[in-house]
Amino acid sequence: MERLTPAKRRVGARAEGPAVREKFLLFRVGDEIYGMGLRGLREVLLSDGVSSLPAPPYQVCVALAYRGRKLPVICMRALFEVPPAGAAGTERVLLTQGRGRPLGLLVDEVLEMAEVDPARITPLPALATLLDPACFRGLFARQDRIILLVNEDGLGGFDEVVQFYAAGA
Amino acid sequence: MAVHAESNPPVVAAAEASVLMFLVAGKQLAVDMDRVQQILEYQPPTRTPRRPSSVEGIIRHKGRYLPVVSLRRRLGVEEPGPASSAILLLSGIGQDPLVGLTVDQVLRVLSLQPDKLPPPPPRVFGIRVEFIRGVVNAGGRPVVWLDVVKLLTSAEPITLLA
Repeated sequence: MERLTPAKRRVGARAEGPAVREKFLLFRVGDEIYGMGLRGLREVLLSDGVSSLPAPPYQVCVALAYRGRKLPVICMRALFEVPPAGAAGTERVLLTQGRGRPLGLLVDEVLEMAEVDPARITPLPALATLLDPACFRGLFARQDRIILLVNEDGLGGFDEVVQFYAAGA
Repeated sequence: MAVHAESNPPVVAAAEASVLMFLVAGKQLAVDMDRVQQILEYQPPTRTPRRPSSVEGIIRHKGRYLPVVSLRRRLGVEEPGPASSAILLLSGIGQDPLVGLTVDQVLRVLSLQPDKLPPPPPRVFGIRVEFIRGVVNAGGRPVVWLDVVKLLTSAEPITLLA
């Protein structure tokens, strides 16, 4: 059997290649940290362009005035049933795409970016939430914290978002 | 500290069953020892969004992510449990391979003969018979042997009586 010289070992290591890591934007809702894939993210906006929608039917969605259009924004506190809190000034709208259409997520604070090996992303336990599992891509652990990753396409299929676009709001 | 239930299985006769006895809100309760894979010290779970009322969240254990159910909350007890409670890792409950169940204090393992247990009354401590496998006596006090699968897969509200 041929013995690998240090040079050959380096070549071999390069051929295997490093694990492809995916980038996520981490944000806070209540006391917990969540993440969203960077691929679909278009902009991070201040929340001052957000206005409420009539309830019913809208319990979770608000509207964002954006370049002469109104876009649906999911208030993540409402979706996650985190009790409302007063404005802290750190709230942001993450403007992304859900099912091919613009979608905003209103979060409490944008934290940082994280790179994660996709192999480390695990599905949520079935008992963990009553929300549609399609709303989540999975979870991973980082520095002793468990971070849930939202799935923009799943959120884009949320009833109120579908209704928003159907109504041509 | 993690107590491995598998590492020291109790010796029982074929007709006997082993149950793990514990305390919740002062009541002696028990679950099948066969379902208990491990006993962990309590660690605060990560709270998950819009979770069932009895679910505390998820914990990470040996690289796996497990949902944690509060037995206090499942039994309708509002007051929080002691800080030094325990998490039982149970298998064969619903869709998740392992589910954590928080209890106030682990007491001991009992051997009993299910065939010789009298039928339980319609309710014990406010828990309906549907969720009870039997009632045994330990130290002059009743121990309710729970049907933990039915208890954790049912949404029926329960109010543990004081």
